[in-house]
Amino acid sequence: MPVLCRTGCGEKAVLKRPKTGDALCKNCFYHAFETEIHYTITKGELFNKGESVAIAASGGKDSTVLAHVMKTLNKRYEYGLNLMLLSIDEGITGYRDDSLETVKQNRDDYEMPLKILSYKDLYGWTMDEIVAQIGRKNNCTFCGVFRRQALDRGAAMLNVKCIATGHNADDIAETVLMNVLRGDIARLKRCTSISTGSEGTIPRVKPLKYTYEKEIVMYAHYKKLVYFSTECVFAPNAYRGHARALLKDMEKIRPSCIMDIIYSGETMAVKEDVSLPTQRLCVRCKFVSSQEVCKACVLLEGLNKGLPRLGIGKSSKAKKMLEEYNSKLEHSAKERAIQDLNDHKVINGSDKCSSKGKSCKSGLCKSKKKYTEIDNHVNKCCNSDCSGRCKCNQSNDKENEGNTKINTLLEQYGINESSNDSGIDQNKLDVPNNDIVEDLLNQEEDPCSGSCGKMGSLQIGF
Amino acid sequence: MSFCQKCKLVPGTILLRLRDLYCNDCFLTNVSHKFRACIGKNRILTQNENVLICLNGGLGSTILLNLVLNGLALNNHKKLLITPVFFHLIGTEENKSFTKLLIEQCMNQNYDINLCHISEYMIKIKSKPKLNHIPERNEEAHVEMKKKLSDMSSSTRNDYLAKIKRELFICYAKELQCNSIFTAETSTTLAIKLISNLSLGRGSQVQHDIGFCDNRNEVKILRPIKDITLEEIQHYITISQLTPLNVRHAQEYSLQSVAKLFVNDLQQNFQSTISTICKTAEKIGIQNENKHKIKCLICESGINKNQCKLTALEATNYSKIVSMAQQESTSGIGSPIEQQFSMFPHVNKYLCYACSKNYSEMKSTVPLNI
Ligand SMILES: [Zn+2]
Ligand SMILES: [Zn+2]
Ligand SMILES: [Zn+2]
Ligand SMILES: [Zn+2]
Ligand SMILES: [Zn+2]
Repeated sequence: MPVLCRTGCGEKAVLKRPKTGDALCKNCFYHAFETEIHYTITKGELFNKGESVAIAASGGKDSTVLAHVMKTLNKRYEYGLNLMLLSIDEGITGYRDDSLETVKQNRDDYEMPLKILSYKDLYGWTMDEIVAQIGRKNNCTFCGVFRRQALDRGAAMLNVKCIATGHNADDIAETVLMNVLRGDIARLKRCTSISTGSEGTIPRVKPLKYTYEKEIVMYAHYKKLVYFSTECVFAPNAYRGHARALLKDMEKIRPSCIMDIIYSGETMAVKEDVSLPTQRLCVRCKFVSSQEVCKACVLLEGLNKGLPRLGIGKSSKAKKMLEEYNSKLEHSAKERAIQDLNDHKVINGSDKCSSKGKSCKSGLCKSKKKYTEIDNHVNKCCNSDCSGRCKCNQSNDKENEGNTKINTLLEQYGINESSNDSGIDQNKLDVPNNDIVEDLLNQEEDPCSGSCGKMGSLQIGF
Repeated sequence: MSFCQKCKLVPGTILLRLRDLYCNDCFLTNVSHKFRACIGKNRILTQNENVLICLNGGLGSTILLNLVLNGLALNNHKKLLITPVFFHLIGTEENKSFTKLLIEQCMNQNYDINLCHISEYMIKIKSKPKLNHIPERNEEAHVEMKKKLSDMSSSTRNDYLAKIKRELFICYAKELQCNSIFTAETSTTLAIKLISNLSLGRGSQVQHDIGFCDNRNEVKILRPIKDITLEEIQHYITISQLTPLNVRHAQEYSLQSVAKLFVNDLQQNFQSTISTICKTAEKIGIQNENKHKIKCLICESGINKNQCKLTALEATNYSKIVSMAQQESTSGIGSPIEQQFSMFPHVNKYLCYACSKNYSEMKSTVPLNI
């Protein structure tokens, strides 16, 4: 007995939706997947007609699917949006080569303009140059802080009204748990909102907020979308790592817990007497900051003055260093230095530079070690740090054998098309063996996909 | 040899969180201070009022009993000015010998304990609690209760049981003329509860479920040992030579069991885990607290009529709709079909999100008086 599509369209079902458990045919899955995102966009009032929207593109699955779906929906529902892709290149030799190739592929496939902005464009320094200055020990701080602002600076350069990022439901639920674990009440409150950005800043929106990661992978697979599969985690942010492990365990028990955690975050309030860090605009660069001068500007000042360690660690320390430095300067020289700084190609707009360099342990900051690895391995990892957890699929080869994630997903949620009509065991379909699949999932690509795998630009905003 | 970091007079005997060293006396003083401070600073009790003290024989319960009795025995300005009414709710799986031990635990201290069966929840007119004796059980209610619970997934059952207990505590507090209730939740159990409750969609109820005071009902539920950790309790019990009963937690694989394992593991490796989680919880409040006109019939939480344009509730319902209906019928958003299949029965009308979810798992739909 073939399993028929739940919608009653008459077709044979090919998969069981991870999110709802319903068996659907390919077309009905596409329809459900896309229509849900359309629902999120319209109900959440994410865009206005005629706007220019930058899609933060990393070449990863989330941003690739986002670009594809945005393109589709923009046409189908006549949003009238002017879509473009925005990628950030940190300037680490070898690091972005494959993902940027993938983004270029996205550009061609979806016929959208692509702007790749480098740290050199945005800050005047590449990460390679910064590493040469600072050494590998602290470059993590720079990369985290710069990355957090990069999209805003990029969007300001492109003059877009809005940035769409590929954060999916899993990312958001995980971030809720992470912020509970690290006691970050301000981010806990912010992280579930579908659109962020205070007055005077470019809002960021998350059209995939309610979309399950598993469905994103399956959609990309069936649609044969080309994306860059993975990155390696050399030093995952400890909190995010724990939150992810917890979420995976909970999801095994109850898949809907992802939505339930998001709901918890959405309906939660911060007590009135709790003081949250106030967000203001950095007096230098005019991007959002929790201090008078944002962290990025402090770091840049250090770099430009040949005091690269400035801003690493406590801000009081930075102040002291700066005072010492300034006291050594002649008045005129100081003026000149400040003038230099202000002339520096730093435009306007921005995000929070507030994180005390802590959260930058995510993402590229793996470059701490990754950087070395990339040199040695010519890119794409798998060194001993991965201890086999990371499959490190060789990039955009969608037929790659190493891509076991989709295979395990298909094993669990796919309904075998080629089998003859009697080939489907109804019970098997209803009671998937979650544990095995989850174990497999946990062993491979996954550990890399959020804390570092978001390829920079998407890992921001929480 | 290192000295107690508090009095600096005698060698320390107890190491907390791998770094704080105390002598026995200072440690005990500190624990009872936490208990007193918790009650005192909240100024929530009136002099000599009746307080229902819920006991279950476990670690937290044993220490709560001890702290209350010590407080009552004092003869100075620190004397605890309450009239305790001890109470125990007998679970469906609890064996009689256990219940008898608990009665002894109380009677050895010359205090009475009131007992009731949890299955009374199924009965409209509940029997009066029995003093120092196991009350007779209504078999019909007992069977019905067991059936009802066994129909649910373990995560739902744990959550639902907590709500049942809450309701019964309040109900019997009223019966026994108490305006306040003490429960024996420790910071460890509350940290676990926070994680579980978030995963159940109870984020908006954190202040009442995890905080010091749950005042959703006119009878207040207070958690006076919420600042005491399991680690401290274990030391306290050893030093004071208390004998907690062995509460059997036949915990099945559930959201709650995963949360428990997670928190305990993390605490092992990072000594600040529980305190950070609890500090986070303390900062979480309630949206528009005074505006709630409707209360959930099961948990009494205020129901917020859609504050946001879009929440996971609508998104989940919509997912179900697009997965069930054919394309033409769903292309128009806000179509009547949207109302038809809700994954959340009675949500925002009679029930909160999480209780509605629980409710959808129940096969027999008692005793919601809708
Ligand atoms: Zn179909
Ligand atoms: Zn700045
Ligand atoms: Zn690797
Ligand atoms: Zn001492
Ligand atoms: Zn409720």
